[in-house]
Amino acid sequence: MLISLSILAVIFFLSVTGLSRVYHDQRASLGNRWFSRGVADLNAKHYGTAVTEFRAALLYSRDEYFYQLNLAEALIGLGHTGEALAYLLNLWDREPDNGLVNLELARIMAQRGQIDQAVRYYHDAVYAAWPPEQEGKRRNARLELIELLLQAKRHGDAQAELMALAANAGDEPSLQETIGDLFLRAGDYERALGAYQTILKTDDRNAMATAGAGNAAFQLGRYPLAKEYLERVASENPNDQESAQQLQMTEMVLHMDPLRPEISTADRNKRVIDAFTAAGQRLNACPLPSHDTFGTTGSAPTLIDEWSNLKPQITEVGLRRNPDLAKNAMDLVFRIERQTSSICSAPTGADLALSLIAKLHEGS
Amino acid sequence: MDVESNPETEVVTENGRAHYGAWIQQHSPGALWRSAFREDRFFLILSVFIGVFAGLAVVCFRFAIDWSRLYFLGTGAVLTPMRMLLAPTLAGLVIAALVIHFFPTARGSGVNQTKAALYIFNGDIPFRTAVGKFITAALAIGSGHSLGPEDPSLQIGACLASLLGRKMRLSRDRMRLIAPVGAAAGLAAAFNAPISAVLFVIEEVIGRWSAGILGSVVLSAISSVVVMRWFLGSESMFRIPAVELKNPTELIAYAVLGVVGGLASVVFASGITTLRPKCKALPKWTQYLQPAIAGLLIGVIAMLGAPQVMGAGYEYIDQAMHGQFTWEFLAILAGAKILATMLSFVSETPGGMFAPTLFIGAMLGGAVGGAQHLFFPHLTGSVGTYSLVGMGVLFAGFLRAPMTSVFMVLEVSGNYSIIVPVIIANTFAYVISRALLPIPIFDLLTRQDGLDLPSMEEQREEDILRVEDAMQPVESPVLDGEKTLDQAMAELDHTKDEDLLVRLSPSGWKSITKEDLGKLAAEGKGATKLASLLPVQQVPYLHPDHSLETALRYVDRWPIVPVVSRADFRKLEGVISQRGVLERYREFGET
Repeated sequence: MLISLSILAVIFFLSVTGLSRVYHDQRASLGNRWFSRGVADLNAKHYGTAVTEFRAALLYSRDEYFYQLNLAEALIGLGHTGEALAYLLNLWDREPDNGLVNLELARIMAQRGQIDQAVRYYHDAVYAAWPPEQEGKRRNARLELIELLLQAKRHGDAQAELMALAANAGDEPSLQETIGDLFLRAGDYERALGAYQTILKTDDRNAMATAGAGNAAFQLGRYPLAKEYLERVASENPNDQESAQQLQMTEMVLHMDPLRPEISTADRNKRVIDAFTAAGQRLNACPLPSHDTFGTTGSAPTLIDEWSNLKPQITEVGLRRNPDLAKNAMDLVFRIERQTSSICSAPTGADLALSLIAKLHEGS
Repeated sequence: MDVESNPETEVVTENGRAHYGAWIQQHSPGALWRSAFREDRFFLILSVFIGVFAGLAVVCFRFAIDWSRLYFLGTGAVLTPMRMLLAPTLAGLVIAALVIHFFPTARGSGVNQTKAALYIFNGDIPFRTAVGKFITAALAIGSGHSLGPEDPSLQIGACLASLLGRKMRLSRDRMRLIAPVGAAAGLAAAFNAPISAVLFVIEEVIGRWSAGILGSVVLSAISSVVVMRWFLGSESMFRIPAVELKNPTELIAYAVLGVVGGLASVVFASGITTLRPKCKALPKWTQYLQPAIAGLLIGVIAMLGAPQVMGAGYEYIDQAMHGQFTWEFLAILAGAKILATMLSFVSETPGGMFAPTLFIGAMLGGAVGGAQHLFFPHLTGSVGTYSLVGMGVLFAGFLRAPMTSVFMVLEVSGNYSIIVPVIIANTFAYVISRALLPIPIFDLLTRQDGLDLPSMEEQREEDILRVEDAMQPVESPVLDGEKTLDQAMAELDHTKDEDLLVRLSPSGWKSITKEDLGKLAAEGKGATKLASLLPVQQVPYLHPDHSLETALRYVDRWPIVPVVSRADFRKLEGVISQRGVLERYREFGET
């Protein structure tokens, strides 16, 4: 009896196997047909149609990896990130080291503000397997990651990623320019300057690189070098307002800095007097509280008192007689600029220049 | 302990006897055990074959539905208006003719028919029913009628099992059990969820947990799922969204879903049970047109903007779970599906209720979740999670299978963190549905068909009378078997009770009448220990939590039976007599 049952089961099984083959072949063919149409529409950015076609393809092969991946891309194109995410997570479970899946997941997580998750997927995308013809996407994934880190103000992480990117970047000018810009935004001005200078070695007429180098040198406080680059920008690209403003400020700093070694004593004294006067004006425009913001209270003299006490001595004669007065005067100027900056509006013009000079000579 | 004196041991023995009836009486005890073992073992092996055959049949059924869909509705994901209207209408005409002329037993979902096979027809289901169900349900679902493949698969499985049972010439008791075994196999293969299938069959078809049947049901369900996965793959029916419950206060939101689901279940079930007799009462010739008219109206619903209601709709459940639809549209889809399913079902189009129930639940869950997100943006559960819970809610509220509803969601989602929301929502839905519609849908349909099958819900809820309910306090003295007859007689001076209990040492009970004691005393045995004077056979004892049915086995053989504590067998809690038991039953019957 059991033998008869077994024979019957085998016959039934074989029959269903044959039927199943016909069924699956037919479905595979229908799935491919709809998938091809979907890919064409996806490439043409007809996302709505592509979604319908990929859905039709998935009716016949629900688990097909590339159908789902393309549907997810079409859904992202259509703005349906929630559903796309479900498909992508499913795909990620199946193939965690697929670069494109990780990249798309990272983008969705970044859109949703889940930065840690996004960073994780971006990292996976950077180190994932990419087809040889899509190697550029790995670099783009890293660039997107850096952009995300910068937006999230995680400058340290961004700098680390940038260094890895720069190490494999080669001399391609557009990439070096991007790297320079990103280093600038990440606050690594030294490396930014290096990236722009790499471009300028091969193309010294590159306006963007020159402006970038000028900006980087300016941020580093290398004002003579900044002036050199920014003057070139001004002559070659007069419409670059940002560089023009930086040039103006650079010139002001170079003109106002009394601590520059190459200037004469008379010039230095004059600059000290000008700086002291400017600081006094700033102090008048931005009255500090009776006790300063750093908690000096009671009998300690205020900045206004200090400035008023020193004022009679800050003359050409006074400075000539007592060279130490210049240092005391500039210390007071720097303190005034720092404190007024933190209490009143951001400094502009001469005050900004004095703030930059203060920063330049901090610790000296 | 003496087997005869322990009712718990005796229950096992008696069950063994009950299963094989007259056939066993022709055999010696040794042969009896050997034969019983052989039939048990054979039934288990047969269960595996039933699972394999049911699995293969369900695979073919799936092929048939998909081919029917391709033929009727085309290959694309978007339907043309012409197909929406014509496909279910024309298929409805063909189905009506087939059902009226060739397969009259193929009507309906199939669950009640399987129950009828178990309780009325001794497990016998004509094979023609399976053929009819296969063809007509495949046509109906493939052409867009709002029905599902699960219940027909259940019935096809039961039919195949019944056929195998007949061919194997199984005993009547085994034949009765074979339909549920096949039903579990069919449902498990259709649903790709063996645990839910087993639970549903136990909960809704068999109605009780029995070790004798559980093994077979599990084996058949698992073997059918293995076969199904061999041919159709192992992926679940839907992509399950990430499920997370961060804040316990969110459970209130799931409770709201339970309330809404309960009300929707009542509307759905009431609609079907109200419209169905009305359609049946129409002139007979209209039966040729009813499925077609239902199909036409479903086509109209589809054309009006809800083509998702056509067919089983699993792909749309999947989309609902992943935020494809707005909550307003999900609510519309839930309502449209209720209407479409009512039309299909009351027109007697063959097909199942499971898939539509899941569809309605998923849409309703998504709608409620989406709406709640609108008003309470801090809710963390995704719309997909609410959809998933919603499926269980409708299952509990509409099909009234609370256990299956919980395990179904767990099994489908594979995520145990969803269990608390599911239990809460399902409980609300179940309680509301029971309060507003006391008789479950399957029982109502059965009664409309003029059958009186046992209601599993009523059985579950039925009060069980226990020994403690009929137990009486001990008024006459309990004699000590270690004392002499004279000492015992001295204790009985003021006792009017005739029947007396004797406590033995170290344990056990015997009984004797006052008259017999007097006779023994008259024989001059006053100095003899009481225990040595009593008959050899001990009185069985009961515990207060034993059922009265158990007590009935003993109270006709002994005038009083001691009821003792489970912690101390010498401690007498009371006594029970035949009169007390019958009195309690009479009182119970009057209430």
